[in-house]
This record gives sequence, structure tokens and C-alpha cells, in this order.
Amino acid sequence: MPETGYPWPIETTRLDNGLRVVVSEDRSVPVVAVNLWYDVGSRHEPEGQTGFAHLFEHLMFEGSVHVAKTEHMRLVQGAGGSLNATTNPDRTNYFETLPSEHLALALWLEADRMGGLVPALTQETLDNQREVVKNERRQRYENVPYGDAWLRLLPLLYPPGHPYHHATIGSMEDLDAADLATFQAFHTTYYAPNNAVLTVAGDASASEVFELADRYFGRLLPQPDIPPAPDGRVVPATGVPVRQTVTGNVPAPRIYLAHRTHPFGEPGYDVVTVLATVLGSGRGSRLYRRLADGARLAQPDSVSAFGVDLAHGPAPLIITATARDGVTAEQLEAGLVEVVEGLADGVTDEEIERARALLTTAWWRQLATVDGRADVLGRHATQLGDPARAAERLPRWLSVTADQVTELARDLLGGADRVTLTYLPDDAAGVREEAA
Amino acid sequence: MSELLVSERPVPGTPRPYTFPTVVRRSVAGGDVVAAHLPGHNLAVAVLLLDAGAGREPVGREGLAGVVAKVLEEGTTRRDATGYALALEGLGTELSVSVDWDSFQVGVQVPVDRLPAAVELLAEAVRTPRLDPADIDRVRNDEVTALRMYWANPGPRADAALRAALFGVDRRPGRPMDGDPESVAAVTVDDVVAFHAEWLTRAGTLLVAGDLDRIDLDTLAATAFVGASPAAEPAGDPLDLVVPDQRRIVLVDRPGSVQSTLRLGHVAPHRAHPDHVPMTLAATVLGGAFTSRLNHLIREVRGYTYGIRAEFGYSRRFGRFVVSSGVQTAVTAPALVDAVGEITRTRDTGVTEAELAVARSWRAGQLSVELQTPRAIANALATLVVYDLPDDYHASLREALLSATESEVSAAAAAHLYPEGLTLVVEGDAGAIRDDLVASGLGEVVDAG
Repeated sequence: MPETGYPWPIETTRLDNGLRVVVSEDRSVPVVAVNLWYDVGSRHEPEGQTGFAHLFEHLMFEGSVHVAKTEHMRLVQGAGGSLNATTNPDRTNYFETLPSEHLALALWLEADRMGGLVPALTQETLDNQREVVKNERRQRYENVPYGDAWLRLLPLLYPPGHPYHHATIGSMEDLDAADLATFQAFHTTYYAPNNAVLTVAGDASASEVFELADRYFGRLLPQPDIPPAPDGRVVPATGVPVRQTVTGNVPAPRIYLAHRTHPFGEPGYDVVTVLATVLGSGRGSRLYRRLADGARLAQPDSVSAFGVDLAHGPAPLIITATARDGVTAEQLEAGLVEVVEGLADGVTDEEIERARALLTTAWWRQLATVDGRADVLGRHATQLGDPARAAERLPRWLSVTADQVTELARDLLGGADRVTLTYLPDDAAGVREEAA
Repeated sequence: MSELLVSERPVPGTPRPYTFPTVVRRSVAGGDVVAAHLPGHNLAVAVLLLDAGAGREPVGREGLAGVVAKVLEEGTTRRDATGYALALEGLGTELSVSVDWDSFQVGVQVPVDRLPAAVELLAEAVRTPRLDPADIDRVRNDEVTALRMYWANPGPRADAALRAALFGVDRRPGRPMDGDPESVAAVTVDDVVAFHAEWLTRAGTLLVAGDLDRIDLDTLAATAFVGASPAAEPAGDPLDLVVPDQRRIVLVDRPGSVQSTLRLGHVAPHRAHPDHVPMTLAATVLGGAFTSRLNHLIREVRGYTYGIRAEFGYSRRFGRFVVSSGVQTAVTAPALVDAVGEITRTRDTGVTEAELAVARSWRAGQLSVELQTPRAIANALATLVVYDLPDDYHASLREALLSATESEVSAAAAAHLYPEGLTLVVEGDAGAIRDDLVASGLGEVVDAG
């Protein structure tokens, strides 16, 4: 077992305005990754303002005081860099990977949109990006079979008022209803240096990064009153299973089972990670062996189980499979439930060993790039308070035992706490006929 | 607020040159080894690359190679499918099998000390699969189902219609690379056994990316090549391709669709064409980067789409130019007019130095940004092998990108873009968009066959 899951140096500092800076130097390629985690996600959105955090992921590319509309993209790509941003219920992150001589450019760009977005935000930009988000919703969720599963699972898993109840893409009505000043206020509140972690990994020294960070971010003002998101750490078990069935334009029945587990970062969530690997990763997993092979209820490429790494509430474990031709949703669901509930009867040491080997490769694969490292460090700094805790992740996975997996399955994967989402083709008879 | 910010944009520091790892080539046991030394990496990748891509499939059996790929994991002469999966996953890897037009690749990725055992299992699956007829039938049926699921998404039908229009359904490139549900349904047990015997028993090339100080290449090669037959003759010269002189619209009906999926294209030169670099840069300016002409106009200015891109796709024997997007149903026709307009403008007036500067440094910078991992380096080695490129290819590509001039790139746009010969495939709600498409005057509207 490795002593550490993070064998590269980590150095940190905090600027006077509260911005935390994390640096992990590695000179093996002339590339540097810059990654900003803002501690704002859809969990912070009050009722009537859903989709705001995600809209900013778009607005942040549309110009700031010294950067013209879409110039951010042009400058980073013109420097040879890659860039993107993501939003989830917990947080929003922005990142770019560039040849290392452009490190200062990346920090300057990030500082300008942290401290200078509001004066540059125009009604025209806002209107245009609302339309882009609507197109994103059409393309990713509405025009794709099963594409809205995640949008449906969240409100089934988390009760009204819980910060994870609504999906990050949000309500188009909420986006349309808000005026420019409301969005400007959202940025002022959450896009503050004391609400962010700046991580730089790769071809740069800590002293160089600290100096540049101070030059570009050092004079930005902290925000004294950042309202916390509602507390969602505890979701009382209702003891009542939740079901939803969607009949629509899908090619075959598909089932999603979902359970609330533990927040990312707690020991229980490391157990969930191992459990999901035992259950759903690879051809040697339980789901594959029993449903794709075995009883042959599920399409082989359709079975999976995964935890969603959320840190501010009991994170979901999602288990899914799509029916083979001639198999009904009821048969598939019964098979899935049998496999999931079977975990409580025990797992073998061989299954744990297989999961450990797969997780070891997956961990090192993520850390093979400087951008992968920057994201892991930013996550641990933002959500667990210390980037060095990244080093504990792999050893913790490798120390999870068969008994712990069994116990977690007994505690959390019972039928009374289950969400079941079923998709049925709107002409089920026709689909079966076609297969015959 | 702005006085808190630094107004002056920083200038770049001194670049540190990117060096592609040293390429090691060996001939061992009748096969070739192409390896790259990555000191200090925990993971290593090995890929057996075989000349058994989609281009080797017989007519009417498109997707056969993909079925063979899946059948490799259904057990070997030594152990059943579950036993094989447990052995391999116990090392921390799954078999990564991919098929494209020119190659069939089987790879593993593991901590370095496990590489010999993983390559043994890789070779066991490729060289001695069980090929049980019942397994083959089941895997084929599963593949048909998986394709049927995939073809329920927007995109595959549009792409098939474009391929058919560009290359003709009677030629392999005119059919989907991975086949369609019908062609895969036609695959028989004999087809699978014959394809394996003809193409997967040849030595091929073993690609290795990892810390070579800890890897014995000769042992890995002996494992991969034992008992293999020599390589086949290459598949043949580039195809003769013609761009039609009339633009037309091919309509693929998708009733109730909230978006129209667009695939606009025409045939283009093969991968080894001398204009490769200026063509790539021209396509980057037109639709390859976020700030490209197409994305700027159709996403940022018009708000019609979540994204639109243009690129040249290449293989050994053919290529194509293709623009891809999904646009709101109601603006399908105006989006097409805008897209054709930008392609025409790029053909007629070329690129500007300012746009080209972004495209050049982006493409060159991406070489170093992307080539960080053993997996990415192995892919780069595969590029060398499949297209017969020299070992300094990646280093010289960087230089070629950075030195391409505005006149060279504009000339490539003029020579290789054919806005009047485009096929405009639209997959969307025909009832809602047909009249607009006819009225657009962009070309005759025909329904996909």
C-alpha cells in the first residue's frame, strides 16, 4: 500500500483578502494548470433563483473590465491553452492548462473576472447567454433519450428546501424573470477572493505563483457577508420508498436505483466508492456478472454504479441498467434489487482486491496530468479545508474492508430508503415486436 | 472597483520547449515495437496495434470488427469470460479495445510492475480467444441492441446520410464506421472466426509508453508476437473522390425534435496530403476553436446553438470536411444560411493574420498540453505507425504549425473548401422545417433514403 496518494510537493498560502493559493510544482512537462474553485453552486440558490450559479459559468467568459467579450477564450487558446468550467450543486470551477510561459496571463484573466465582471456585464450579454443555456438544456437534457434522469433524481432524493433538491441547470423561468442587477449582486456576493481557492500545478515554483497571485488578486476586496447555503447534511430517512415512472421516446426500459449515502470526504463515502466499484465497475463486477452475464436481463454496456462526489449532504449512489430485448422493466428492477440487496449478505476479499486494483489505476490516471492534480487539490482545499488531504484518498480507499462494505449496504441500501426511476418506451409492445 | 485590478495584460515569459519523449523502435519476434520513455510515471500503457480496422471489413458486414472486439473478452482457450475479467481487473485494468478506419487497437494501462502480466493477458485474448459460437451469437445480438440504442440519439442517422452522400453507399467509407443495426445483425459466426483468423493472428506493432528503465521491451514483444504471422499488404492508395457541383439538402425526419442536428460536409484529402497543416489551421479559424467564425456568429451573436464546429476528418485513404451542430428547430434555415455564408467567406477571402495567430499557437500549444500522459503518448505513437510518419513528427509538426503563413492557409481554404458542393444534412422535425428549407434557396431538398 502506498504511503501517500499524492507524492508531489504541496505549498499553500493565504492572501490578506482571504484567497487561498495552492501550488504543486512538477517540472517534467512545460505546462501549467490553473484551477479556481469557487465555493458557490446550485445549493446556494434560493427559491426563484435556480440556475444562477450555472449561468455564471457562461457569463464569466463574456468579458470583464480589461477583457473584451469572448476575449478570454481567444487569449487562452491563442496562448496554446485549453480551458473550461463546470458547475455542480456544491461549487463552480474554472480552469485552464497552458504552456507555462503564459502562467501570468491565466492569473491576470482569472483576477479580472473575479474582481471586474460586474461593471462589464451588459443586458445584451445576459440575454444572449440565457439563450445559450436554453440551447444547452435542449441539447443535453431534452433531445436525448434518458437525458433528464439526473434532473428527475435530485428532487426525488432530496426534499423541498434541501440544497440539492433542484438541478444545477435550473429553471428557465427563473433565469428569464431576474433582472441584470440581481445577477450582478449574485456575482458580488459569491465571486470574492475569500470564497475561492486558486490552485496551480505543474511547471512553476511556489514563490513565483505566490508573487503573481499577490500582484493580480492581492488588492481585490473580500466579501464580509457571504450567506451560507442551507444546511443539508442530514436528510431524515422517511422509511417510504419513492418511485417515478416516465413513459417516453426511449428505445428500451431503463431503471435507476438511487440511495442517499455519506458526504464526500467522510470515511463512509470512501466505503461507498469501493462498494460502487465492487457493484458496477468492469466485467468482473456483481452487476455485470449477474445481470449482463448470468440472468442476461441487462444490456452489457448499460450496467453501472457510481457515487456522485457531493460534500455538503448525503451524496447519491446511483445504480442503473437498461433492459435487454424481451426483458420487462419489472424483471430488470427485480434483478437489480436482488444484486444490490445481496451486498448486505457479504462481499468477498477477492472482490475487494479487484476494486482496490481498479481504483489504484483510476487514481494515478487522474493524477497523470497537471490539470487532474490541480482539480484534486482544489477540491480537497475547498471541501475538506486542506489540499494535503488529497494524499489520504487512495490509502483510505485501499484500507476499506469487506466488512465495512457489507455494513454500509445493510445500513443504507435497504428498500425503504430507495428512489426508483423507471423509463418505459411509449410503445413498449412495438419495441418488443421489433426485436423479435 | 477597477483600480483594484491590474489593467496591463502580462506578456509571456520565456518558453521552455516541449520535447517529445525519445522514441525507441525494435523488431522482435517478427513484430515491431515502438516505445516512448516516460521516467517517473506510475502507470504504463501497452497497446497492440493491428492492421484490422473498419477498412478491412467486407461489404455488408460493417461493424464486424467491433463484434470481434467484444468477442475477445468472452473467454480464452485457457479460461472463461469471468475468469478472464477477474484476472485482468485484478491487475487494475480493463481491456481497452478500439476500432477505427485504419487500425484495431487493444490496450492495457497498469502500474508499471504489473505490465508484463497485463500484456500476457492482452495477448491471450487477442491470439487465443475462445470464439464459442453461442457467445458470438449473443455478443452480436447485444451489439445490435446497443447500436439500436445509440441510433435513437440524434446524430448517427444524420452522419450516415452524410457519408452515403459523400462516398456512396457501395463503398466502405460511405457506410458508418461502426456499422448500423442492420449490418451488424448480418454478421455470422463464420464472419467473426474468419476475420480473427485473417487479421488478428498477424504480428502488428506493440506500442509501449512508460518508464522504460523498469520495462523489458523484448519480453513484452515476445509475449505479444509469439506464433504470429507476418503483416499484410497495406490496404491501397487513396480513393479517387469527387465533390458534386450542386449543393443539396438531405432531410432526415425526427418528429417532435426540439433541435435540428446539422451535418454539413464534402469529401477532402487523405491524412498524408501535403496540405495537412494549412488545412487544419483553416478549419480551426472557421470552426475549430471557441472563438472561430462559426461559433462566434451562430452561438455568440445569434444564440441559435450550444455549439458548432468544423473540421477535416482524415484516414489513410480518404478524408472529409464536416460541420456539426444542433440548433433550435425554429432557426434551422437561418442557421444553415449563416453556416454556408461563413464557409463561403473563408473560401473566398481566406483568414486574417490575427485569427491565424490564435489558431497557430493554439494548435502548437495543444501538442504539449495534451501529450502529458502515458495514454496520450501511446496514441501519438499510434499516429506515427498508422500514417508512416517519422519519429520527429510531433516535434516538426509544432514547427510547421507555428511557421504556416496567412497566404498558405488562405490558399488551403480556397483549394479545399467547396461551399457550392456541400451536402447539408438536417435531422429534425421535417413537418416543422421543410418549407423553410425549401424557401432558403440553399439547394434541392431531398428526403434521406
